[in-house]
Formats: sequence, C-alpha cells, structure tokens
Amino acid sequence: MRKSKSLPYQRMLNVLTWAIVVISLLPIVWMVLSSLRNYTDIASGSQLDAGFSLRWQNYRDMWVNVDFFTYFKNSLIICGLTTVFATMAAACAAYALARFRFKGSQATSLGISITQVIPGMLFFLPLYMLYQHVGDAWGVQMIDTYHGLIFLYVALFTPASIWIMRGFFVSIPRELEDAAIVDGCSRFGAFVRIILPISAPGIIATATFIFLLAWDELFFAWILTSTSEVQTIPVGIRLFIGQFQHRYDLMMAAATVSTLPVLVAFFLTQRYFVKGLAAGAVKG
Amino acid sequence: MASVKFKGITKRYTEHDTVVNQVSLDIADGEFVVLVGPSGCGKSTMLRMVAGLEEITDGELHIGDEVANDVPAAKRGIAMVFQSYALYPHMTVEQNMGFALKLAKTPKAEIARRVAEAADILKIAPLLKRKPRELSGGQRQRVAIGRAIVRKPKVFLFDEPLSNLDASLRLNMRVELSKLHHTLKTTMIYVTHDQVEAMTLADRIVVFDSGVIQGIGTPKALYDNPPSLFVAGFLGSPSMNLFAGHLSACGDTEASVKLPSGVQLGAAVDVRGSQIGDPVTIGIRPEHIRIANDDEAGTVRARVALIEYLGDCVVAYVELVGSNEGLSIKLPGQGTDLKFGDEIRIALSPRDCLLFDRHGQAFARHAVGTA
Repeated sequence: MRKSKSLPYQRMLNVLTWAIVVISLLPIVWMVLSSLRNYTDIASGSQLDAGFSLRWQNYRDMWVNVDFFTYFKNSLIICGLTTVFATMAAACAAYALARFRFKGSQATSLGISITQVIPGMLFFLPLYMLYQHVGDAWGVQMIDTYHGLIFLYVALFTPASIWIMRGFFVSIPRELEDAAIVDGCSRFGAFVRIILPISAPGIIATATFIFLLAWDELFFAWILTSTSEVQTIPVGIRLFIGQFQHRYDLMMAAATVSTLPVLVAFFLTQRYFVKGLAAGAVKG
Repeated sequence: MASVKFKGITKRYTEHDTVVNQVSLDIADGEFVVLVGPSGCGKSTMLRMVAGLEEITDGELHIGDEVANDVPAAKRGIAMVFQSYALYPHMTVEQNMGFALKLAKTPKAEIARRVAEAADILKIAPLLKRKPRELSGGQRQRVAIGRAIVRKPKVFLFDEPLSNLDASLRLNMRVELSKLHHTLKTTMIYVTHDQVEAMTLADRIVVFDSGVIQGIGTPKALYDNPPSLFVAGFLGSPSMNLFAGHLSACGDTEASVKLPSGVQLGAAVDVRGSQIGDPVTIGIRPEHIRIANDDEAGTVRARVALIEYLGDCVVAYVELVGSNEGLSIKLPGQGTDLKFGDEIRIALSPRDCLLFDRHGQAFARHAVGTA
C-alpha cells in the first residue's frame, strides 16, 4: 500500500508547483502588459510604473502598420496544411513501424531518431541551394512560396510526430485489426475504419504538436521568404525591429495576438494532448 | 455449414522456425473440435490459418468443397471470436455486431433483423446501444460471440475465448457455448490450453505439441486410451502418474515393468515385438490407484507427503517407500482419513495401467475382462 505523504511535504509540493506556474506565466504576463504600454515606457523598462493606463491603440496600430492580417492568413494556411500533411504522413509511417517487421524497419526507426539530434539550422545552406536548384532546373519555384515552406515543415516535424504516434499504435491490440480483416476489411481498411478512429486522441495530440511547432517557427520562414504574400506571423513580428527603432509595444501586441490561436488550439485539445503523449508509457 | 480439411498443412516463419508441421486433419460438418496443447504448440497458428490471418506455407486447406489457401478472410465464410474479445471500442454493441454485414453491403433492415436475432439468442438485447467499455467481461464475450453469429458463418473459430473470464463465468459461458453449438449445429473449431474446456466442449479433441498432432479422439477415448505419452500426461488433472523403467517380463496378457527403485508394476497390454530390458514408461491415472489393506498381496508401500482437500475429492501425494518416486492419488472427499506421514499400502491394478514404448507411443491395451 502506498504510504500517505505528510502535510508539510504536501504543502511544500504545492508551493513548488505554484512557483513553477508563476515562473512559467511571467513572460506571458509581461508580454501582454508590454503590449498595452507606451513605446517609451517599454524602452525605459518602466512597464509597471504606468499603472492602469492601458494603451489598446497598440493593437490597432500593429494591425495597420504591417498588414498583420496577411501574416495571420499566411500562418494559418501554411501551418494548417503542414499539420494535415505531416499528421497523415506520420500516422502511416508510425503504424507501419508499430505493426510490421520489414527489412530495414530497425534502420528506419534509428534514422528517424537520429534526425532529432541534428540541429535544424545545419540544413539551412544545403536546403537553400536545393530549393534554388529545383527552381532553376525544373522550374518549380520553392523559395518564397507556400509549398516551399509547407514541404520543409512537413519534413522537419514528421519524425518527432512518428514517435509520438507510434507509442499510441503500439498500445492498440492487434486482435482489433484481425477482427476487422475477418469482418471484411482490407489491411488499409482496418487502419482507416478501426485504428484511426481509436487513435483519435493520439492523432489530435500530434496534430496540435505539429501546429504549435509550425506556428512558432521563425528561422526557416525568415530565410526562405522575402515577400509579405507568404511570410508568417513570426516573420511579421520580427519586422517591428527596424534599423533605427525597435517597436516593442507593437511587437508585443502582435505576439499576444499570434499566441491566441495556439492557446485556443491547445486548450481545445489538451485532454487529448496529455492522453496522446502519455500513450504507451505504461502498460495498460 | 461446412467441413474443414487440413492436408499436410505447414507454417514456417523462417527456415528453422516451423510452427506447424505437416498437419492433416478432417473436421466433419457440424462437428465441435477443440485444439488443445501447451503455449506455443501451434494451435492458435492453425486457427489463424483457417481464418486467413496467416499464410499457409505448405499444404492445402479445404473449407467445404473449396480450397481456401488463397481465399481472403472475409470470403471464407468463417467468423472468429478472439481471446481479448476484440470489440471495436468506438462502436456500439449494435454497430459491432453489424459491422461485417455493413461491409458486405447487406441492406440495413436485414442487418437490424440479424443483429436482433443474435441478441435474442445471447440475451444481450438491452445492451445494443452501449459501448464495449460499458459492459462487463461476460457481456463483452457474449457480444463477441454475437458478432460471429450474425454473419451466419459456415465455420466458427474460437481462440481461447474464455481465458479472460473468472472461474464461475467461464463455467457459465462453457455451458452457453455448448448450448449454442446444439442450437446452431455449425462446425466449430475451438482453441484452448485448458483441458477442462477441451474435455467438456469437444466432440473430438486434437492434442497438439511442437506443431504436430499428438492425438485425435473423443474426450473419453483420449483420456482412457491416450495414444502417446504426451497426451497421457497432458490430459487429466492431476496428471497421470508416469514412471520410467524397463520391461522385466512379457506375458500374453500382461507385461511387468521394473522401476529403478526395484518396484515391479504390471500393465495389461500387448507388448508383442518388445524385448525384456526395453526402456518403457508405465502410467496410471490418480483415480485408479486404490488404498489397500495391509495384508493385501501385490501392493506397494508408500508414505503420504501432502494432502489436498478439494471438497468432492482428496488428492494425496505419496512417495514409494525405499525410493524417491512420487505419485498422486485421487480419493473420495468423504471417508478419506489420511494424514501427513501416514504409511499406507497402495494397489495399482494392471488393468488400469498404460505402457508406452521408448518413443512415447502407447502399447495396445487388452480389453477389460480379458486380463
């Protein structure tokens, strides 16, 4: 039987938990507060001195000054499609790795793991050259396009997603697929009709994870795009840093707005997120 | 309904990993056959080959008049009940039961009629709108059986369907399955490692070991006259008492076996063709050993090492005096008054003893009364 913890120990744990929560929330609170302050207040580091005088005008200015709607739309398109394609690719690959023993399955698993320990920035130069070459040689423009970024993000985020989903598929009894096959499904039919619906929490968790990663990505979005027609929110926010003036007030307002869809996505799916990431961790 | 024929069926995963080896077996139309054997003996693989879930490496499988080796699972006219029930958790009981018919594009009204009919047979009509997680283990098993029934299959396949149930529920379901077979009169192939299930359910039992058939027969025939040492040791609880020894005398009606301890035991079997000194194994069921009077001739001295009181019977584990050979004796629960350390005399009638040659094959018994 588990020994019940003493009261001081419980209290200490509570204090520690709240301390972690406060520390985690502090940057967000600071961001929201700064988004409602004057540029000079922020520049002088006196955000707290302005009291309850809130400058909502920053949000309007932010929207007007840099055509924030376009960045928002671009982010939604790029991240949405990345999420769809990467989730589909990861689901199929994860299912294959979880279920089938094929020649090279171990090597594939190892290869997927290895991609996770290589810093993404190392791909910058070869990737840029590859994209340029594809454009020059085959006439398929990759730089400064939606599909160029989507293709890259799918490639970047699929490996980690495979690992998350693999744990979920492994935890599903094989007999369910056998039963579906006896009932008249093909193997792919069993995957689509039985395994995917059962795996919904894992798939939603993975999709949320991919969306969050894509939404926040700045480095590749910055170097692979040059026009506002395809640039995403992180790039748009970066534009508030000018050569002579850093508009932190507008930047913070833009950052606050850009965080909202991510927060909504997370809170809508957090139940699945926790369940999905924990799948396969314990024997059920 | 259909017969099932295995003709030299082999399943090999790699060159050195043969799970089922050259199995030939005829299952008659409407017969209830139980494949029984220890874990890893190949019985489940046999069932999965019939279901179409495993490819057959070699040999021919006939379901009815058709060679089924390359027929897809859904077209074989079989239905399977799995150990873990394998109910689709995102579907209701009704959807689970009708899933195969829906895939076969059966009209909705017909699906509803057949689901209702199966639900009535299994008494699960009130559960039709529930999800599997809202059901008990027994109810889930009924739904799994219902899912098989609605398809009106030619052959039912059961893969250890009662293993996950508790003892009392298992007994109830065993009775239900037996009734179901009498009602439907469909061919049923049932895999289990539980010999009680095998003995109580089967028209015929097929005992498997290491991918080959060790014995086929009715439960009574296999129990009374096991064809091999493996079958003799596998069927029965407590298992048959077996002693290795050498032939010491070969009579017309009886053979004598000398155990390493020097104890001589007799068996009413035909040992023609054998020589004195041949290594053999002699066996006797625990319920065939009798406690004898002290002055009775031809009995063996033994000491009680352990007593297990099981209510209706008592199982006593005894050691032969002067040797370290032990055996179990099954005695009536009432009127048995044995204690640890008691020294008793036991009688092993040659008529009840079986004899197996060096290859584990049984010698033919002389008919009772001729000994």
